[in-house]
Amino acid sequence: MMAARSSPTHDWRVIAGMMLCLIAAAAASLHLGLRHYAPWQVIDALFNDSQSTEGLIIRTLRLPRTVNALVVGAALAVSGLLMQSVTRNPLAAPGVLGVNAGAALAVVLGLSLFGIVSLTALAGLAAAGALAATTLVFGITLSAGRSFSPVHVLLAGVTVAALLASFTQIVLVTDESTMESLLFWLSGGFADRPLRLLAIGGPAIAVAFIAVLPLARALDVLMTDDDSAQSLGVPVLRIRLAALGLAAVLAGISVSIAGPVVFIGLIAPHIARHLVAPAHAVLIPAAALVGAMLAILADILARYLVAPGEAPVGAVLALIGVPVLIILLRSRRMVLQRR
Amino acid sequence: MTDATYFSTRSRAGWPWVIVTLAVLLFVLVLLAIGVGSSWLSPERVLLALIGEGERMDQVIVQTLRLPRVLLAAEAGACLALAGALLQRATRNPLASPSVLGIVDGAAVGVVLFLFVFSNEANALTVSIHYQPLAAATGAVVFASIVALLIWLDGGGPTRLIVYGVAIAALASALVTLLIVLGPVYRASQALIWLAGSVHQAHWSDVYTIAGLLILSLPLLALLPRAMDQLLLDDDTAATTGLAVASMRAVLLLMAVYLTASAVSFVGGIAFVGLIAPHLTRLLVGHSAGRFLLGSALVGAIIVLAADIIARLALAPLELPTGAVTALVGAPYFLFILIRQARSHA
Repeated sequence: MMAARSSPTHDWRVIAGMMLCLIAAAAASLHLGLRHYAPWQVIDALFNDSQSTEGLIIRTLRLPRTVNALVVGAALAVSGLLMQSVTRNPLAAPGVLGVNAGAALAVVLGLSLFGIVSLTALAGLAAAGALAATTLVFGITLSAGRSFSPVHVLLAGVTVAALLASFTQIVLVTDESTMESLLFWLSGGFADRPLRLLAIGGPAIAVAFIAVLPLARALDVLMTDDDSAQSLGVPVLRIRLAALGLAAVLAGISVSIAGPVVFIGLIAPHIARHLVAPAHAVLIPAAALVGAMLAILADILARYLVAPGEAPVGAVLALIGVPVLIILLRSRRMVLQRR
Repeated sequence: MTDATYFSTRSRAGWPWVIVTLAVLLFVLVLLAIGVGSSWLSPERVLLALIGEGERMDQVIVQTLRLPRVLLAAEAGACLALAGALLQRATRNPLASPSVLGIVDGAAVGVVLFLFVFSNEANALTVSIHYQPLAAATGAVVFASIVALLIWLDGGGPTRLIVYGVAIAALASALVTLLIVLGPVYRASQALIWLAGSVHQAHWSDVYTIAGLLILSLPLLALLPRAMDQLLLDDDTAATTGLAVASMRAVLLLMAVYLTASAVSFVGGIAFVGLIAPHLTRLLVGHSAGRFLLGSALVGAIIVLAADIIARLALAPLELPTGAVTALVGAPYFLFILIRQARSHA
């Protein structure tokens, strides 16, 4: 896949370029919105702790949502990349494999059965639900043995999602008052999320991200097929479990910070594969950067689309994601395995 | 992906009895389903009311309230099961189903769009609710055509069909979530009820419409069994037996979309029936296409009727969405098939 063009130096140059773009996007995210600010106002707000209105807006509204988008985007992208690589499935992504359905069920149960209203507690529940759903899907996958094809994984994910969704429906029928809270949660987004979540989730995501990097070589080998990987000395099952576990943790934390944010986990890894060589040592950082960038750009767009209101980030991502996904599906590069 | 055991032809000499048993079971369930409700009617009272005898009150309850609902459930179940049976034959894949191929989610997009486009500030519909099935059918056909177009451009086999189907279904459900979030809460709950699949708002007009659509499809369905049996062979062998494989496959897929759209337009996303009914039927009557289709229709009707009875009784006086009940039963069964199929390959 694009082997002729990519050499290691080329890849790292691409990554450096993406980092610059990301910094630019993050800076733009601080400046743009319903009110536009000049660079000196932003610098003043960030470094001089000014108590002016613009200082407060930038520090307490713009900065948190930018950091949220950056962290969640990167985490979702890496999670999607891991799921796609381990299952050798171009369509594997947190959303498709039941993460959002699990989180939604946990949130609805929390709201309705236990009367929980604090957003932090709901976030914890969402993470737990997401983890449980992913565990269920991958448990089914692993219990079926090694001949479980990518399509089987996909079907297992879709089915578990449907099962969890039907539980959610039943709870909603018995308790209609949870509907409104659920709708708020369903919309997903980076603005107005409690900072405490980021303070807990951010470092956890960073740790998971660092834990992913040593798996890069093994993941490359795993992309061939199980038998070859085994004969090359890769402990297939253990690597697979580790990677899926980390993917689930990353997706679970993301969903608890920002709610269900779709499409980043699906698309960012594919864009990364178009940009750099198919080696996970560069793919992982590249995917993280693409994911962060997508999230920030979608967040900026969300401020303009229905101004002065704010569009749900999920809507914006779907608008970007639908065409991209169709192009990706059409192009033969969507096939992950080198044949 | 194709299952080796799927094509094994065990002789099922007793199949006519199985069909008769299924028909009797369906009839008993119809009587039960009419009887169950806020006021219980014994089967004999139901029978009397059906033939126009019995108490006046019973007749009103049965003929205007319960019978349309029961018939709608049975018809929708038969449609979905037939669609699933055709799809599984066309793709030679026992895991294909209307909901995996984006048809149901497409219909959902149609309905949700309809609810949002045609409602005014006071949350009242500006056009008649009777157009909603039309919107659902349009959505189903549009999204099915997208999947069909992608597969045609791709030229891939049955496996790619599922991959594209799941992808397009994911897109459709993202759109649905979006519209629900953007719209007012009242509309959202209305849309969610539809999405969950339910037969509780059955009217006689719905019953007649689906019955008409189903009867329209019968002549074509009656012509199909021979070709469907040929399709069990691999493509090349089927072609040498004189079958135009590609066009026959297209006909089966079109019929499946037609039947799914007919059912889904009226009852919403009743999940897993199209997947599980053909599967159970194959275990009961074997592969021969004629009895396979007949059995699937009966089993589908039985499943949806039974699910509707459970949905009404489980948390009475509250009613669960019928689709939630079929999913609760269907999803684990499907996962079981999935695991067993994967293991049999090992």
